[in-house]
Amino acid sequence: MTTLRFPLSRIEGHARVEMEVEDGKVVSAQFQAIEMRGFRYFMQGTPAEQMPVIVPRICGVCSTAHHVASVKALEDIFEVEPPELAKEIRELLLLGQLIQNQATSLFIFTMPDRVGASSIFHMDESEADPEQQLSLAQRALKVRQIGTKLITLAGGQFIHPIKAIIGGITSGIKKEDAEKMLSEVREMLPIACTLFDEYWEMSLAMRERIGTWGDDQPAFYIASTGRTRPQLNSDTIRVLGPDGAERASFPPHLIREYLDYQETEYSYSGQSSYQGQVLRANSLARMNLALSMGTPCADDYLDRLTSTFGKPAHPILLFDLCRGIEMVYAFERAIEILSKDLDYEDTDVPYTPKDGEGYGLVEAPRGPLVHHYTVKDGLIEDAEFIIPTVHNMLAIERALMVAGDRYVSPSGINLELEKAVGRVVRAFDPCIACATQ
Amino acid sequence: MSVTNQSLPRFAVLQLSGCAGCEVSLLNANEWVEKYQLVYMPLVVSTHTVPEDTEILLVSGGVRNDEDVYNLRRAVKIVDRVIAVGTCAISGGVANLGDRDEVREMFMSQANRHHLPHLLPKSRPIDAFVDVDLYLPGCPPTPELFMGALTGPENFQASSIVCQECGRKKLKDMRPKHLLGFQQGEVLPDICLINQGYLCVGSSTRGGCRAICTRPGHPCVGCRGPSDAYIEKESSVWFDRVQQVFERLTDIPPQEIYDALHSPQLSLFLFQFTDYMGNGGPTRPKEKVL
Repeated sequence: MTTLRFPLSRIEGHARVEMEVEDGKVVSAQFQAIEMRGFRYFMQGTPAEQMPVIVPRICGVCSTAHHVASVKALEDIFEVEPPELAKEIRELLLLGQLIQNQATSLFIFTMPDRVGASSIFHMDESEADPEQQLSLAQRALKVRQIGTKLITLAGGQFIHPIKAIIGGITSGIKKEDAEKMLSEVREMLPIACTLFDEYWEMSLAMRERIGTWGDDQPAFYIASTGRTRPQLNSDTIRVLGPDGAERASFPPHLIREYLDYQETEYSYSGQSSYQGQVLRANSLARMNLALSMGTPCADDYLDRLTSTFGKPAHPILLFDLCRGIEMVYAFERAIEILSKDLDYEDTDVPYTPKDGEGYGLVEAPRGPLVHHYTVKDGLIEDAEFIIPTVHNMLAIERALMVAGDRYVSPSGINLELEKAVGRVVRAFDPCIACATQ
Repeated sequence: MSVTNQSLPRFAVLQLSGCAGCEVSLLNANEWVEKYQLVYMPLVVSTHTVPEDTEILLVSGGVRNDEDVYNLRRAVKIVDRVIAVGTCAISGGVANLGDRDEVREMFMSQANRHHLPHLLPKSRPIDAFVDVDLYLPGCPPTPELFMGALTGPENFQASSIVCQECGRKKLKDMRPKHLLGFQQGEVLPDICLINQGYLCVGSSTRGGCRAICTRPGHPCVGCRGPSDAYIEKESSVWFDRVQQVFERLTDIPPQEIYDALHSPQLSLFLFQFTDYMGNGGPTRPKEKVL
């Protein structure tokens, strides 16, 4: 028995893959999360109202999702409903996060795989024209920055945002600020689309080179977006079967009843499944669920994807293409929201803190995120963070087995395996800081 | 000009146990792309060790497990200059909220996995293990601060405290009698948040962030840590100072202020005082803090 250990990079957090090979065959593949800070433990005893400022620190990449989920969990306990303006600004926050995250995953994490470079900042190693490569890195960072700017505008702080509060939002967005942002988003949209087109082309070329889109067996999918168009701030989680039919739809407080959860000795992250079946969250899950994106450019891309791969689609490298579609959607949807009046008085409703149990759900870039708090005497008695990456753990391991079968044979181990491991893991865009907290 | 130009200064980013927020912030500072060569940063570059002849090492995250200790000790040997970036690297950060007996006991008994990097009893700052040349506090530091740290503190201008960068007016005749419920209520523009009854500690928090929280109406939680006036002193001096500011500007009972100042949300950043953890760590001289 030989153990192959693959360190991982260009993902969020610390993780590695271990494969065991026996007689020229991969017999197991483990995805190991190797860090942990222990938020669930040390949040106990914290004054409940301070959670929205502390929990973004679970993850600097996903901080916006934690910020909003936390506020929603407390609103569930305190029984307050935020006004419409607050909901719109929170959506803008989540859109900013979606742009920032999907652009990061596309251009910084996975684009180098398509051309065999070690990073987007080193792409001239493998491409002829250094001038052009630099402009690609800079264009990518600029597109990504639109997300950061939206988070700053709607959330106050650009990484650990602060503006969502229990009952609403601290302030609206001034007309001149919204207009300035609007023109920047409009200006960058075509640049984002061009970059995504280049990414799509590079993906096609990679498909030709490696001979697969990462074929894997069909899976179940989980997402909390709307059926007819994306919705990042919904109250319903849905599960799709491998045939694309909806198998379950439930509010966040029932998530533990619908999903099975287990811990393992080899990882600081747990794993979840649906009725014993492998589950997938993240962009492909949402794309398989959504009838349309509801915005013109994103719908064009979705049509292109669906006409090529059908629906539901299962090859794992499509996660990456779906992220691009969502990035374009987030640009277009941000334009719609920024065109509205976001500067009026009705920012929040008063609330009275009370004890109880509550759930907050948002669709984070990596899938449905649930914060579940129990509050006693104003303090957190228990805080449970149900993390979308955890729903993908079994799917990642199954896809690693598929890659292992492809590149390991009795005659030897193809060196492409290491790259394949990276591509598989990055397709799921796991977030280890979140998964282990 | 290419980013892999060999003549550019080479820097690496060592990520210990943290949230990657510091790295995300660094990515938002695109200016370095043309001025520095990034040779190692697992979040964005597929290189698995810090290469030889790296000049500058930024360290983010706290030391939470034995692999963090190993990676840290190995990396600092290679480089000329070590910069501790963000609250976790400087103080252990948010994970320090668990530094209570009952939490530690539960954590160590339930969390550890035998075949993985072993968890230490608590999250430690990096200067508990290695020498640090420059501290860059912030949760996370802004892109502008990152550029200041890379190019050298002499190139970075900032006010000493957040208050001076905030621009909200302090009023003598607007004196709240109690602290507002956390974050609750309408925030008036242009008027000091303390006058409005918010627990804002910007009056003694290190400047340089350009008051990005207080300007849109959220009280400063002190993520940049103590200003030069307090950083070499005990945290009690800082507490007394904030207390004095509130007593001067408000009619809030002193006990109420005292209790609020000791809340977890603020102590998360108070850990930047070396005495706060009670382990007699090295003092961080103000010359070494950006």
